Amino acid sequence: MKCNDVCELMPELAAGLDAVTPEVNEHLESCAGCAGKLKEFRQTMALLDEWQVPEPSPYFDVRLRARLREETAKQPHGLWYWIRKPALAVSLAVLMVMSITLFRTDAGRNSAPEGPRALMVAEPGTAVGDLQALDKNNELYSDFELLDDLQVQKDVDANP
Amino acid sequence: MNRGFLSMAGIPSHTGAKIAGEPPSEGLSDAQIMLRVKAGDESAFDYLVQKYRRPMLSFMYRMAHNTAVAEDLAQEVFLRVYRSRETYEASAKFTTWLYRIASNLAVNHARDTRHERPENTVSLDEPDQESGLTMDVPDDSLSAEEAIVRRERLAAIRQRVQELPERQRIAVVMHKYQQMDYRQIAEVLKLSESAIKSLLFRAYETLRVQLKEFV
Repeated sequence: MKCNDVCELMPELAAGLDAVTPEVNEHLESCAGCAGKLKEFRQTMALLDEWQVPEPSPYFDVRLRARLREETAKQPHGLWYWIRKPALAVSLAVLMVMSITLFRTDAGRNSAPEGPRALMVAEPGTAVGDLQALDKNNELYSDFELLDDLQVQKDVDANP
Repeated sequence: MNRGFLSMAGIPSHTGAKIAGEPPSEGLSDAQIMLRVKAGDESAFDYLVQKYRRPMLSFMYRMAHNTAVAEDLAQEVFLRVYRSRETYEASAKFTTWLYRIASNLAVNHARDTRHERPENTVSLDEPDQESGLTMDVPDDSLSAEEAIVRRERLAAIRQRVQELPERQRIAVVMHKYQQMDYRQIAEVLKLSESAIKSLLFRAYETLRVQLKEFV
């Protein structure tokens, strides 16, 4: 065993946390330097023992309880706290998927001409009723134009 | 065991689990008891506070050198344990986790108050500036001169330990005063065991040289 190996063991040996093995003992008997150092380490450890801790305050538990009470009282859980809850996270995810699906379905229906809004008829004389009438007229005018075109075509066919 | 710490604090159990109120079983490890805290067991938290209150106070006192601050920091450790109960995973020893929280708090406190601390001068005629207490327990068997020498010695010990580099100081406090072995200290400080051996040897070597006159 070398001096470095014994030095590494010295804190444990000096603190009495490790027993002196025969190998270490053999080295210490042959190495005055290590033996002297271990003796001084032991004296240092004994000196460090003098540093005692004062008794804990009798109010320690009372204060801790008060702090725990404050802690729970001021815990308005943030969004992240709730999102971390697995059941809530799954529910939120399902809700989101359902919302998206419904939104898309609804959008598809709205684009169809026979949608519920297309069937609504406003009273004549109101602004909405007049606009709807204009829309219908536009359709009629375009129909008339189509009929005119057909008539012209018939005329063309009839008079080659 | 007494009633649950949290119930005494007026804090209801989260789950109202059946185990609430029952004392933790003798055979359970601290990590298993912490899992019961996670499940809403109030008495389990009380058990851990009672078990580790003194070690935490002792650790914090030697790190912060002030009784009031040490109590405040030790309470903060338990508050953090309580706050983290729902995310606790028993992947490491409970004490490793506890001392890691404590070390971080102590180091942060030391850094935050580095410029506030007075110089390490010790008045032999007045109570300790930091704790407000006299530095030693009155001992009628000591003469006035011996009492002064003893106080000087204690002041030197505190000062020399405080002057050690951060990690050496933590390692010495854990090894010498918390009776933790190399492996436990290595886990808390996230270092290898050989690094801790070397760290402790250097720290004790420094203390041996600097405290030689008091031996």
